[in-house]
Amino acid sequence: MTSSGRPLPILPAQYQPPLPSERLIVAEPPDAEHVPMDVVFVGGGPAGLAGAIELARLAKADAEAGGSLGDIQVAVLEKAGALGEHNLSGAVVNPVAFRALFPGMPDSEFPFRAPVKAERVYFMSDRRAYRLPTPPTMRNHGHYVGSICEIVRWLGERAEAAGVNLFTGFPVASLLVEGERVIGVRTTPSGLERDGTPGSSYTPPTDLTARVTVLSEGTRGSLTQAYCGWRGIGSPNPPLFALGVKELWETTRPLDSVIHTLGWPLPNDAFGGSFLYPLGEKQIAIGIVVGLDYHAAALDVHELLQRLKLHPLVRPYLEGGEMVEWGAKTIPEGGYWAIPDRCFGDGVLIAGDAAGFVEVASLKGIHYAMQSGIFAARAIFDALKKQDTSAAALAPYDQMVKDSYITRDLYERRNMRLAFQHGGLYAGGIKAGLMTLTKGAFPGGRITAEADAEVARTAEPVPHLQPDGKLTFSKLDAVFRSGNATRDDIPSHLIVGADIPPAVADFYTHVCPAGVYERDGDRLVVSPANCVDCKATDDVGPRWTPREGGSGAKYRSM
Amino acid sequence: MKIAVCIKRAADMETRFKIAPSGTSVDETGVKFDIADFDGFAVEAALQIKEKEGAGEVTVISLGADAVQETLRKALSMGADKAVHLKADAVPADALAIARVLAAELETGGYDLMLFGRMAIDAANQSVGPMAAELLGVPCVTAASQLTIANGKGTARRELEGASEVLEFPLPAVVTIDEGIARPRLPSLKGIMAAKKKPLEVKPVQAGESRVTVIKMELPPERTGGRIIGEGPDAVPELVRLLQTEAKVL
Repeated sequence: MTSSGRPLPILPAQYQPPLPSERLIVAEPPDAEHVPMDVVFVGGGPAGLAGAIELARLAKADAEAGGSLGDIQVAVLEKAGALGEHNLSGAVVNPVAFRALFPGMPDSEFPFRAPVKAERVYFMSDRRAYRLPTPPTMRNHGHYVGSICEIVRWLGERAEAAGVNLFTGFPVASLLVEGERVIGVRTTPSGLERDGTPGSSYTPPTDLTARVTVLSEGTRGSLTQAYCGWRGIGSPNPPLFALGVKELWETTRPLDSVIHTLGWPLPNDAFGGSFLYPLGEKQIAIGIVVGLDYHAAALDVHELLQRLKLHPLVRPYLEGGEMVEWGAKTIPEGGYWAIPDRCFGDGVLIAGDAAGFVEVASLKGIHYAMQSGIFAARAIFDALKKQDTSAAALAPYDQMVKDSYITRDLYERRNMRLAFQHGGLYAGGIKAGLMTLTKGAFPGGRITAEADAEVARTAEPVPHLQPDGKLTFSKLDAVFRSGNATRDDIPSHLIVGADIPPAVADFYTHVCPAGVYERDGDRLVVSPANCVDCKATDDVGPRWTPREGGSGAKYRSM
Repeated sequence: MKIAVCIKRAADMETRFKIAPSGTSVDETGVKFDIADFDGFAVEAALQIKEKEGAGEVTVISLGADAVQETLRKALSMGADKAVHLKADAVPADALAIARVLAAELETGGYDLMLFGRMAIDAANQSVGPMAAELLGVPCVTAASQLTIANGKGTARRELEGASEVLEFPLPAVVTIDEGIARPRLPSLKGIMAAKKKPLEVKPVQAGESRVTVIKMELPPERTGGRIIGEGPDAVPELVRLLQTEAKVL
């Protein structure tokens, strides 16, 4: 307490346990029973699947042309029980990477719901919505509204047809390394009792060896963090993350336009906004995205989404409808300055969200993820041909990314997100406008940033909303709609710091959208089975680690 | 020992169902499918018998459209040796029509033991297994929660209301499997790799006339929210009264 009686601000980093690197990077030879692969993609999202498809295709073309490569085994390991079940996005999709991956295929065959017909941007107050001109960064003409779950399932079918080995329900627990080289991966065991001992349905880990391992594990990838830490790979700015909470509604009133909003219900010192996307005539995706560098310790992104649905702009579309899915996920928001200094190493590449290839101003990452997967495949193919998968042989991957629209887009908007950490909504908004006009030349250079966990949280009061169970939902009701059916007796995969004070316990309770953390008196109670792998607390609190395959959310159309 | 397991591809029961516009079937959009629950136990039972015997062959058989091949592959990745896809546009509603198609296939295989799930989790007929046994003229034990094979004879345990019974029967026989047998194993990574190379035979079949038709499907009524009567011992009399007069369970 300070002399004025107000509680001191919380510095999340002070209570955050370190990443358990010794579990994530293992210098052991692979088990004698290991499965030999040539290339392993860790994570079956847009990056991993696009990469696997491209690589399988290049290898096939090489074999048909009588090339030297021969039959190569490509595997995609996915932690979800089925493809797509852990993927969540808005999503308005730029089809450019689909066209690159499936040349000659008409857009109409891509797994999208509908083209963007119209779009509107609003600045919100608690009762009003003021229409704004659509900023150039948010223009979506020629893009499509889609569900990333459906996109990923569709990509999975193509990967399977191309001969890729898809292993769903197999999270990777560790990278196997030898010297400085990644030589393969080890999956998590399953069927452990709560105390960590093998139960009746115990399945031991499996080792897979690979000449190249691609970390396409998505936002806040544990292996990526551990690998970069181990090899001393930094970035000019620390990575920043936002938390997105999203619901899918079945509705009776069709939405005719893609809607983005700024302002309420976010406080002015938080970065973010909300979206409403029509998924055909009968479904609406609604979500809110908030940068995890917000200030009020009691800010609760799930509650902000609940509040948003009561706004007169939003409510009429949802009333009388039904919330059919709920989910949450972090988004890498650091942009250009937060990309790892190198995304390659001996026997390893980093692609997609794991590398931070997301452009915040336009809220897009799917096409960057796919495109980076395609580049990874091309670099790997060349390296395999030369029988050299050292860092030097894989380095052309970074150059391909740098020469492409991935880096061009991220560089142009390199400081936009960062302006908001310093200026809040109004000053940040003005600066972002100037940056857009000058294509990033103003103010040039690099705006520095603090890691989310280094931003102090204050005790300012935040209003609480009582959910009605029809339009607004408690976290427990929401998690039920994520399809999460993780068994209750699973060992905890979350690493919580020691001696968490009640105020910090409250902070975790608000950060986690899935009700994993609760305060009981002065004690922090953790319910790991609720976790939907959004990784929000991994950014500012307890660490997330890979657990038994098939745990967590089972998203169908998020 | 040759063991056949008839498995059905059924919707994951965690799914929130919707009725298709026809009003007579489930809307399959976004629904996840897997081996029907009890059929998974049947596959596990077959694999355990084979493992115990140290020899034998487990064949999985499924009737339906091409999508059932995914279900068959899953059983192969659990450890079954081969698969037969009886290819038809749809699975008929008439259990006897299904049993006839399956029995015709089972007859050609020369199996010692033919396993089914106690019932398909979606249709809940509980009759395809016994009907197939009848058509094949072999003994049938339903809802076995334990099954052992020794000296050319089978022994099965069945859970009854308040008791259990143990039966013995000669082979070949049909047994339908209840839960109670060990939980179906998850396919291992090596199992998934191996399954790709195992034989999956596709045989087009004509399911006979279905004399039973679904005319209507309905979702159960929405559950209304709970009610808090009060807290502590003071609330007990009111709770008892409501359980007697309103819920009528006391």
